[in-house]
Amino acid sequence: MLSIKNLRAKIDNKEILRGLNLNINPGEVHAIMGPNGSGKSTLSNILTGKKGYEIEGEVTFEKEDLLKLEPEERAHKGIFLAFQYPLEIPGVNTNIFLKTSINAIKKARGEKEFDAIEFLKLIKKKSADLKFDEKILSRQLNVGFSGGEKKKNEILQMSILNPKLAILDETDSGLDIDALRVVSEGVNTLRNQNNAFLIITHYQRLLDYIIPDYVHVLKNGQIIKSGGPELAKNLEKLGYKDFN
Amino acid sequence: MDSQIKIDFENFLNKENFSKSQIQLKKNNFNEFVKKGFPNKRIEDWKFSDLNQIIQTNIKKLNFISSDLKQEDFEITTIKDFEHNKIIFLNGKILKVDFSLEENDKIVIQQNHNINADHIENSLVSLNSAFVSDYVKFTVKKGYQAKKPLIFYNYLTTDIASSALNIRIDIDLEDGSSLNVVDLSNQNLNNNFINIRQNFHVGENAILKKYFLDTENSKNIKYIYNNLDLAKNSHLEYFILSSGSKFLKNDITCSLNNQYGSISLNGIINLDGEKHHEIKTVINHKDENCKSYQLIKSVLADQSKGVYQGKISVDNKAQKTDGYQLSRALLLNDQTEFNAKPELEIYADDVKCSHGSTSGNIDEDSIFYLMSRGLSYHQSKQLLVNAFLNEVLEKITDEKIKIFIKKLTGLTNEY
Ligand SMILES: Nc1ncnc2c1ncn2[C@@H]1O[C@H](COP(=O)(O)OP(=O)(O)OP(=O)(O)O)[C@@H](O)[C@H]1O
Ligand SMILES: [Mg+2]
Repeated sequence: MLSIKNLRAKIDNKEILRGLNLNINPGEVHAIMGPNGSGKSTLSNILTGKKGYEIEGEVTFEKEDLLKLEPEERAHKGIFLAFQYPLEIPGVNTNIFLKTSINAIKKARGEKEFDAIEFLKLIKKKSADLKFDEKILSRQLNVGFSGGEKKKNEILQMSILNPKLAILDETDSGLDIDALRVVSEGVNTLRNQNNAFLIITHYQRLLDYIIPDYVHVLKNGQIIKSGGPELAKNLEKLGYKDFN
Repeated sequence: MDSQIKIDFENFLNKENFSKSQIQLKKNNFNEFVKKGFPNKRIEDWKFSDLNQIIQTNIKKLNFISSDLKQEDFEITTIKDFEHNKIIFLNGKILKVDFSLEENDKIVIQQNHNINADHIENSLVSLNSAFVSDYVKFTVKKGYQAKKPLIFYNYLTTDIASSALNIRIDIDLEDGSSLNVVDLSNQNLNNNFINIRQNFHVGENAILKKYFLDTENSKNIKYIYNNLDLAKNSHLEYFILSSGSKFLKNDITCSLNNQYGSISLNGIINLDGEKHHEIKTVINHKDENCKSYQLIKSVLADQSKGVYQGKISVDNKAQKTDGYQLSRALLLNDQTEFNAKPELEIYADDVKCSHGSTSGNIDEDSIFYLMSRGLSYHQSKQLLVNAFLNEVLEKITDEKIKIFIKKLTGLTNEY
């Protein structure tokens, strides 16, 4: 599904990714762990099409060159990023934004757009599943949301858009214990043979709920070690200092 | 000044039937204009908008009097969204009045042929006084609350081109009355200089809400001199949407003459192409316990230019004044220009006054966030622009008019 070959990225002449390789197949869950500043969010940004990087290497998504697509085209093809720091957008109503978003994607795919009632039903169900207080959706997008509410809002969007490849950038940071469980259940219900997840986290605990197929260690812009779930457990004990 | 204006003025005086004293008054105003000419950037109030230059580059040869008006059959499209009273202006003169939704004799309309002898240091006001004829004065009678809003429709006949049009409207709200007015300043023809003078008087305990909308693209150059006089405990809500004309300057002087008067002045300057708009305000707090609130937001695209000059002046007897003014501009392009000149002039000591001005670019990280959810760049930008401007639209307190304006402009995310 996703294939990254020798990906290098610079910003303002600072090298961040230095030859990163990764393959993700449908049905797989990959976790990436790594020290602060190692390039995890940079990788997420590049996969979703953020501008401003000098990029070398090859990234294909379902055999198509991903790097030449605009961010919204990637969203239309089913790539979703739950932001580490979701942005506050004053003046934009959350519900209206969610509807605009899903309908933009449906339209691009040539599907029938949701009308107000269909959308309301969907929103009701999804927010109930995630134990997300619907009232918050009538507020301005992420404005004044607590840290955890912002993260839950990202997961709500993920479950509405039902992406093929979902990248979760430290979604667990800032979630309380109950919310962590609910969010994990949300991911687990979406999980199927046709989609894939790339989960960036600092904490092994999340991976007790969402059992990954692979765990990778990203350090200094490269994946320096890959393994199964046990790798995360070792990391938790030993830290990153012994990995080089 | 070239001789064309003198010939036009002579013809104008010959055509209209003015009394001797009126002719003298008009001549005085005319001479004053000829002496000063159109304002240019050397005049402090015009330093960001050189009108003389703007007229010269946009209108080759300006006529000061149009040929005799021919009545034409043109379609008058009126608004269907809500019930309203109508006044249809043709070339600044009344063509049709419909007040059927109101009680009889509560709103009185007079056509005035004669101007009074007031003097204002402003060459465009002098020009207006020299050439205006048959201007309109509305009076809302004491204690009468208009049931429905009043909409001004403005039309021009097709023989109006490269003309200077001088229009005057006076509105007088007697004590305890109220009226909501929508002024659709959408002249359909191009390349004219439209010089409007408006005098509003809001009586004791009266409430006037005025919504000025310039939304249709045109090459017209417009100047509006607004003189707003507020009596004790009266309120004026003034909304400006400045967007369609090539050049537009709203020049507002508001006097809070008596205790507990208040004005809420909210404006949007939303421009593209090479448009150039200005809002200039002077709020004079002349007595205690008055409030003024101003919020101006500008969005500038392409090579457009926006200006906001706002002055709050507080007399020494105007204690407990509350004066607030904020200007925010969003520049969508490096080639746009925004100038703000806030000014406070305070002679009383117990006052609360604040002013602020910011301008910035659209936040690319926010755009990326929205695009990552499937919205195009254009859609994302529009969403952010609308969100930015929505705060001003939300200041509109007449709900029906607010919905109408949101629909008319598309400046809303509520679809
Ligand atoms: N716009 C930028 N200009 C300069 N340096 C940048 C820029 N964006 C990111 N960096 C740098 O790139 C490095 C990688 O940042 P990135 O956000 O990808 O790290 P991360 O692995 O997600 O870290 P964390 O675990 O703290 O979230 C950091 O050293 C960061 O300071
Ligand atoms: Mg990060």
